Amino acid sequence: MNGRAPLAWLVIGFLCMACRIQAVAAEETGYSAAALYNSANAYARAGKPGLAVLNYERASLLAPADPDVNANLRFVRESSHVAAEPQRWSDRLVKLAPPAVVAWLGVAGVAMMGAGLLAGLLAPRRRRPRRLAMVAGAALVGFTLSNGLVLWPKLHEAVILSEATPARVSPVPMGDPLFVLPEAETVRITAEHDDFVLVRTRAGRAGWVSRANLAPVVPRR
Amino acid sequence: MGTRFIHRCGLLAMIAASFLAAAPALAVAPLVNATLEPSQIALGESAQLTITSSGKGMESPKLPEVAGLEFHIVGQSQRIQLINGAALASSSIIVRITPQTAGVFTIPGLTPNSSPLVLRVAPAGSPALPGKSSGSGAPGMGSSANGIRMVADGAAFVRLILPKRDIYVGESVPLDIEVGLRDGFGRLNTLPTLVGGDFTLNNLSHQPEQAPRVIDGKSYMVLTWHSVVAAVKPGKFSLSVESPVTVRIRTRPQRDSMIDDMLGDPFMQNFFGATVTKDITATSTPSELTVLELPVEGRPPNFSGAVGSFKIAGDISSGAAAAGDPLTLRMHVAGSGNFDRVDSTMFEHLDQWKTYPPKSSFKASDALGLKGEKIFEQPLIASKPGTHTLPGLAFSYFDPGAHRYETVHSAPLKVTISPSLADGSLNAPQAPAGTASSAGPTATASSNTGLRPDHIATEAGTSSLAPPYLQPRFLAIPSLLALTIAGGWLGLRRRASDASNARGRERGSSKDINRALKDMESAARAGDAASFFNLARSALETGRGGENEDVRRLLALADEANYAALRPTHEEFETWLQFMRGRLS
Repeated sequence: MNGRAPLAWLVIGFLCMACRIQAVAAEETGYSAAALYNSANAYARAGKPGLAVLNYERASLLAPADPDVNANLRFVRESSHVAAEPQRWSDRLVKLAPPAVVAWLGVAGVAMMGAGLLAGLLAPRRRRPRRLAMVAGAALVGFTLSNGLVLWPKLHEAVILSEATPARVSPVPMGDPLFVLPEAETVRITAEHDDFVLVRTRAGRAGWVSRANLAPVVPRR
Repeated sequence: MGTRFIHRCGLLAMIAASFLAAAPALAVAPLVNATLEPSQIALGESAQLTITSSGKGMESPKLPEVAGLEFHIVGQSQRIQLINGAALASSSIIVRITPQTAGVFTIPGLTPNSSPLVLRVAPAGSPALPGKSSGSGAPGMGSSANGIRMVADGAAFVRLILPKRDIYVGESVPLDIEVGLRDGFGRLNTLPTLVGGDFTLNNLSHQPEQAPRVIDGKSYMVLTWHSVVAAVKPGKFSLSVESPVTVRIRTRPQRDSMIDDMLGDPFMQNFFGATVTKDITATSTPSELTVLELPVEGRPPNFSGAVGSFKIAGDISSGAAAAGDPLTLRMHVAGSGNFDRVDSTMFEHLDQWKTYPPKSSFKASDALGLKGEKIFEQPLIASKPGTHTLPGLAFSYFDPGAHRYETVHSAPLKVTISPSLADGSLNAPQAPAGTASSAGPTATASSNTGLRPDHIATEAGTSSLAPPYLQPRFLAIPSLLALTIAGGWLGLRRRASDASNARGRERGSSKDINRALKDMESAARAGDAASFFNLARSALETGRGGENEDVRRLLALADEANYAALRPTHEEFETWLQFMRGRLS
């Protein structure tokens, strides 16, 4: 009994700290899926497809399963003659739950695995429920990791905001243009140099684009 | 060498003798005479002022100062004349006058009694000055060779080549601009420009075609720009091109510069001071061009200003689609003409279709952009299923060859539209049931734009768009949890390990006691008092025995058995054996 008391205090302290972190996060004002979605609608109505797609993409990060966000994103892309992103089976994984829920599921998975591990020492005879808890915990952690892997490329994407943005052969304003990117096109950022970023399109073409002509889906701090 | 020296000495002696012989004549007052030739030049050319002084006190005359004229002495000569037995010495100074600007300049007399000289300077590249022929040989004057106007004494020329026909307002016509620079005599400063604001000229390349050409036996490097010009209003125009160039011009009249032509090489000419560098603006011979207005009669209502020769074709991205799916209707306009004025709204309205403004792209098939294909792409969305026929597209233009408007049509297109199950159809941009947008008072309907309505923003904001599990602050939670579990696991594991060790030690101690008791029994049976009491003492020394009177007595008996040959009885052995069993258990 004396050995379990410090462990209990540790668990209680941990839970208090987790609640505090979550409470601080909830008090913050910043991005909200609804606000981003409404901004995107406003930009779309104002004839600014680049900013509209950018805000839809950001809203879809916070609310990946929202059908309105996905429908309007598809609509604006089609109206701007920008090819829509091909749907992958892994996208369903992202749409199962919002990232915040997925994150707490991952924490719960770690807790279940740990509980199973500790139960093996405290009550070695109850083997079946212990194994069940560990398998479920591992599944939750795996789900969170898979979610992160699927979302990872999207976190390094950017949206072209200017019409007919030139992609240049070198990161200088006088660099020869290789091709032209349409407004609202989504590209992947692969490198950065001063005021230019090296982008790669879905078609596989790469070129340097001025930072002024695009905005990353996840803003840099 | 020696002969030349003797000859020069003889010449000096003759001059000295002549001066002595002419001593009476030296008393005459000096006369100064100045002549200017030619009196009319173009900017960029030079005139020659010859100052001749004779008589007593021949001194170098002071050069006049005139604003806008540059004076430079290029030569001096002396001469002795014998007139009626009197020797008259005279000297001449040759001065090059180079104007800095166009205008009429008055050069004051060199003596109070001499009259001023007038020099007229015309702008560079202007037509031949009155009273002068183009081939007069005056330095730097414009000349014409093979229909090309030469400037700066043939150092450069500019030529404009236009089509020999009338053109229409808005019609794009090709033109060529040639700038010829005589090898070693000319250099282009900036790109040529069109003189006349009623025309638009496409941007000229910084890398024109370059080709050598021989004109009148002189070698030129000819730079050629191919471009397109268009008139913005009707009328008769005189069109020319001017180009700033840097040229080397002669400093002496051409008739006095035969040696220059003999030298030929510009380096040699420059070496001997025969040329000077000047920046001038060369102008081409004006070309007359008549611009006709597009006729009002017969102008189609969809005419956008396209002038040229075109044909069109139409296609659609897919012949079959679901209602609500976007399709792209394309119109290809190919041919030659002013593609910048080729425009079309395609379909502004179609029954059972939602139409969007088209976008266009142009792909030129020649360097000038006169020929090529312009593609218009219009998004269309069918609102109802069924088989639809899109009517043929129409495009109107003005044909300058036929002098009339033409309208061309594309073939109608058939599209099969199937019923839609998608949520993005035109008439169903509704929010899904259960979402905040379906019943919220702030939700705004925007079905007319095809967008789903706004949401009610009620949820709290987050500081980052990255998923929480990638944010360091949130990662602290699972990390601490994992550390806690690891710590707990280690603690429990250690406790379990200690318990197991204690049990092991317990088991090992019992075995030793049993073995010691058996050995003591054997020693008792054998009557070996020394072994019996030594085993008993060893067992007690392992800590199993407490310190009391019996133990002290047993230890004393052990010493007595070892050193005094103690022989206890069987009963005494049994008593001490019982005592040890009780102590060790």
